Amino acid sequence: MNTKSKLKKTAGLAGLVVLLFLLPLFIKRPYYVHIFITTLISIIVVSSLRTIALSGQVSVGHAAFMGIGAYFSGVVSKELALTPWLTIPLGGLAAMIVAVFMGYPFVRVRAIYFSMVSLFGGIMIVNIIRVAQKWTGAAGLAGIPPLSPINIPGLMNITFLGQKVPYYYFTLLLTLVCLAFLYRIEHCRVGMIWKGIAQSHMVASTVGINEAGFRVLALAVGCFFAGIAGAWYAHYNLVVTPPAFGFLPSIFLVMYMLVGGRHRFSGPIVGTAILVMVPELFRGLKEYAPLILGGIMVIVVFLMPQGIAGLFDQMKAKYGEVRNRKVPGNAV
Amino acid sequence: MLFETKGLTKYFGGLAAVSQLDMHVNQGEIVGLIGPNGAGKTTVFNLITGFLRPTSGRVLFDGHDITGKKPHCIAGTGIGRTFQLAYLFPDFTVLENVVASFYLYPRFHFWGAVFNTPAYCKKEKYILNQAGEVLRLVGLDKAKDELAKNLPHGHQKVLGVARALAIKPKLLLLDEPVAGMTRDEIVFSLGVFEKIRSQGITILLVEHNMEVMSLCDRVIVLNFGQKIAEGSSEEVRQNEAVIQAYFGSENAT
Repeated sequence: MNTKSKLKKTAGLAGLVVLLFLLPLFIKRPYYVHIFITTLISIIVVSSLRTIALSGQVSVGHAAFMGIGAYFSGVVSKELALTPWLTIPLGGLAAMIVAVFMGYPFVRVRAIYFSMVSLFGGIMIVNIIRVAQKWTGAAGLAGIPPLSPINIPGLMNITFLGQKVPYYYFTLLLTLVCLAFLYRIEHCRVGMIWKGIAQSHMVASTVGINEAGFRVLALAVGCFFAGIAGAWYAHYNLVVTPPAFGFLPSIFLVMYMLVGGRHRFSGPIVGTAILVMVPELFRGLKEYAPLILGGIMVIVVFLMPQGIAGLFDQMKAKYGEVRNRKVPGNAV
Repeated sequence: MLFETKGLTKYFGGLAAVSQLDMHVNQGEIVGLIGPNGAGKTTVFNLITGFLRPTSGRVLFDGHDITGKKPHCIAGTGIGRTFQLAYLFPDFTVLENVVASFYLYPRFHFWGAVFNTPAYCKKEKYILNQAGEVLRLVGLDKAKDELAKNLPHGHQKVLGVARALAIKPKLLLLDEPVAGMTRDEIVFSLGVFEKIRSQGITILLVEHNMEVMSLCDRVIVLNFGQKIAEGSSEEVRQNEAVIQAYFGSENAT
């Protein structure tokens, strides 16, 4: 990439971020702000799912790790009266630890078999949450404390309870930090090794790469961020229920990733933004609204096999003179 | 003695793919492993490099017992290998293939890589340099920005060798390194093998090509998983058992 297009890209990104920061000035209705907050949280989760997918494994139980983060942080902050600012990272760590313990047996299987095993793993986690009623509540966990107020005398006093806009700003910050971290991991040697393993695990192990270990690492990193996002969601929504982390949400996460395009870092961001927001525009259709989702899905699968974010690449390959266009990542 | 197998045996169900194989490779040698199709040559390679576990027997390398260890651990002891089919990272460029293969030396630290510390940058720079050198050695430096999957077959095989060299091996296992290559490519590859040997790397190779065989200091002949002959390529060519294995006996009906 030459410096000019790099500069353009950076400027575009900065513009987008500024726009997102100014958004609450234009959008006043709390409901719309709510949509943006949930979209941002989903973007973190879907990006973390893509990080796992870099190593050639598509998890179909990723929402469950969000659930671990949400419930862990929710229960701990409620029962022990700890500040959510502390329990949210702990929720991420909890999800990561579970991912490592489950990962060691799970990485013995690859590709579609891994997806199957992860599906059952996800269902198992949600059922454990459901069974642990003593802490997690019968129908769901209620009474989760909101983010504790930030009070620096004379400088700022931010309260979160019942407020959308402060939540929006802090969610945006969290998303930016998480995405920056995931971007760095992907673009350093760790990400390169993951992509290599996805292409040929045999070659990877002949050059001394502990491919099982690196796949567990991918799970650990991905699930840590899913846990963080889940915990954040818990302290925003203040109520969490097991179905929110079950099979269907996991499938949706995979769908967001595939529609956005898994070969590009921007894929999960574009996919989530479109698939969460476009159905909102068609709320008037009531029970027919999911048809819009299905329609987008079909169009993308048929016309944009590399996802919406991959459309540019696809066009360049077809009409441009770029020979040997590079497909980052891998194909399952 | 750099490398040795003792009574190496592998059964696939009731079939003995390799049975009671004793062989050794000395430091600095080029040793050829030949035999008719299905003789068990690739199985021997897979047993050595840990992709298969031997039923019985031991593999010793550089004074260590490496029997039944995981492939990445065996790579760590200094055995590099290529595959019969050109296995590589198809969606990486040629250069990226080699850069990604520089994993063992130098090792990197996870947090160093994520935060792009000066020490990590220095290592990456060093790797880029070394990768360029390896590619120059195998003659692929002009194609370094080409996607690996777009290379012609011969170049893909050579890239496999470059990849194996990236782990700084003491012993290099080459599985049919020139199969499917053109004349020119074969001649070039022979030069590459000589250069690799001159760097002090020992080579064990499986091959059918006679020119490559003549490069070998010693040839071991397998048939039905058993060693039937050993010696210089000239000696082996005259060997009665070898001729029988390849062409059948005169009395056969």
